[in-house]
Amino acid sequence: MSNIVEAKSLRKNYGNFTALDGVDLTIPRGAICGLIGPNGAGKTTTLKALIGLCDVEGELSVAGRDPRIARHKLMEDVCFIADVGILPKWLKVSHVIDYVEAVHPRFDRKKAEKFLSTTDIPANKRIKNLSKGMVTQLHLALVMAIEVQLLVLDEPTLGLDIIYRKEFYDRLLNDFYDGNRTIIISTHQVEEIETLLSHLVFINKGKIVLDSSMSDLPDIYTEVLVDADKVAQADAVGPIYVRELLGKKSYTFEAVPREQLEVLGELHTPSVADLFVAKLKEEKHG
Amino acid sequence: MDKFAILQFYGLIKREVLEHRNLFIGAPAVVALLLLVATTWAVTQVDESQLAEGLRYVSVLFDGLSPFDMAPFFMLLAVPFYLTLYVCSVIYLINTLYQDRKEMSVLFWQSMPVSNLQTVLSKIVTIVLVAPIFYVLIIFAMYLIAMVWLTILGISNDVDLVGIGYMFLAAIASLVLIYISAFVTSLWLLPSVGWLLLFSAFAKKTPLLWAGGVFILVGFLEDFIFGTQFLANWVASRTSDPNQYLIFEFQSIFERIFNYDTLFGIVVGGILIVGAVFMRRFTD
Repeated sequence: MSNIVEAKSLRKNYGNFTALDGVDLTIPRGAICGLIGPNGAGKTTTLKALIGLCDVEGELSVAGRDPRIARHKLMEDVCFIADVGILPKWLKVSHVIDYVEAVHPRFDRKKAEKFLSTTDIPANKRIKNLSKGMVTQLHLALVMAIEVQLLVLDEPTLGLDIIYRKEFYDRLLNDFYDGNRTIIISTHQVEEIETLLSHLVFINKGKIVLDSSMSDLPDIYTEVLVDADKVAQADAVGPIYVRELLGKKSYTFEAVPREQLEVLGELHTPSVADLFVAKLKEEKHG
Repeated sequence: MDKFAILQFYGLIKREVLEHRNLFIGAPAVVALLLLVATTWAVTQVDESQLAEGLRYVSVLFDGLSPFDMAPFFMLLAVPFYLTLYVCSVIYLINTLYQDRKEMSVLFWQSMPVSNLQTVLSKIVTIVLVAPIFYVLIIFAMYLIAMVWLTILGISNDVDLVGIGYMFLAAIASLVLIYISAFVTSLWLLPSVGWLLLFSAFAKKTPLLWAGGVFILVGFLEDFIFGTQFLANWVASRTSDPNQYLIFEFQSIFERIFNYDTLFGIVVGGILIVGAVFMRRFTD
């Protein structure tokens, strides 16, 4: 499978603050990739770099183009939804559809209108008068009506209630994703997207700390609920993270064969959230 | 240019008009309304026989004469609209690239397959060619209302309506002159257009203050370092004479565009506009 995103040694500074510090990233076509990181980790800068909205140093190719020199051409193949606030508030719903129809060669108006007919969004309302959930639905309707290779989502459900959030991801999977298109999602709500993902990237302090397919994770990471009498033995194996859980100790190991760990206690594959915490703590403590 | 590129550019212009309809339609409509109200009030202060006499004089004055020759008579009526257009243009140009970034909608606009060059060009075409169309249409509507009113007045006072008709034709011809004047003035002021767009794309806050502040600073530095006032004199020479903003004769249009001063201004404006395109590209 070819890669839709290939980035090497991406660097970006804002004054003295280093937003990206040598980011290497490879995302295969057809993946649903989660880009996870704490606040200020470099998620938004990475996503903006991918679609040519911020200038970075390093090698970068998205859908076969360099976003820094061909952003507008690239955007024929890529869609972007950022935080819910970015649709211009002064426009009416019908005006937004008119605009996208006018400027995007791959926009299917009927598709967008069909999607909107399943919502409560009136065509003659201004965006400033819509709820946050409606604005997101509208943006999703626009995006789903565009035939693109890559969809980039930066905290797309921020500030939405659980119903809108769930509906957003259901629609994304059922109506947009077809196995060939690629989706990159950056979010804090890791648990909500964990089951959707086929690829996982963690970023912290401008550096990629994990870049793996979800199917490879069980082979690399193992969580062990260690029996009390095996704690010293587990410590000796060299966990990347240890935490207290229901009076027991939970150890997270990286690249340690399962057979070696079976003797220590009950084995699990860590959840994305647990793995995220483990990798960040590992970074912090070295 | 293919058909889609034309439709795409039309979409960009439509967006500008929708977003700034208050500047392009609302403001001149208010001016037209105020002029109509002021004229109506003034007429009520005049004796009807004097009014009829005045109307007869005007009717005779215009009767049989070429509307294009008489069009300049109406240019003074357009002055309030010109002033409004220029004030609105400054407001538009200084805010147009800044506002997108301020309200974060720039992420939406730039998520579309539209280049920064197309975006900036659409804004220039909007202010140079499209905005004056709306002003001219509103002046036309104002003339139309005035003509209906004068016709009724003429019928009730037994005034020759043919002369009034000629006056109306001269008023219509003046619309062409008004539009061309606005266009030529835009070319004349292209350095200002580029300067305002540059700071609209650059400033993170108060773009007008930046545009004015940097201009004063550059002038001051020129005076301080070289002991010259080229910049200040150049700007003064392009702004001090009101005749530079109005064209009274169709014959002078070519001469007003194709002269050294205007063409030099177009080059300077072009450089500043290219700067605005790059600034929009690199300001994140």
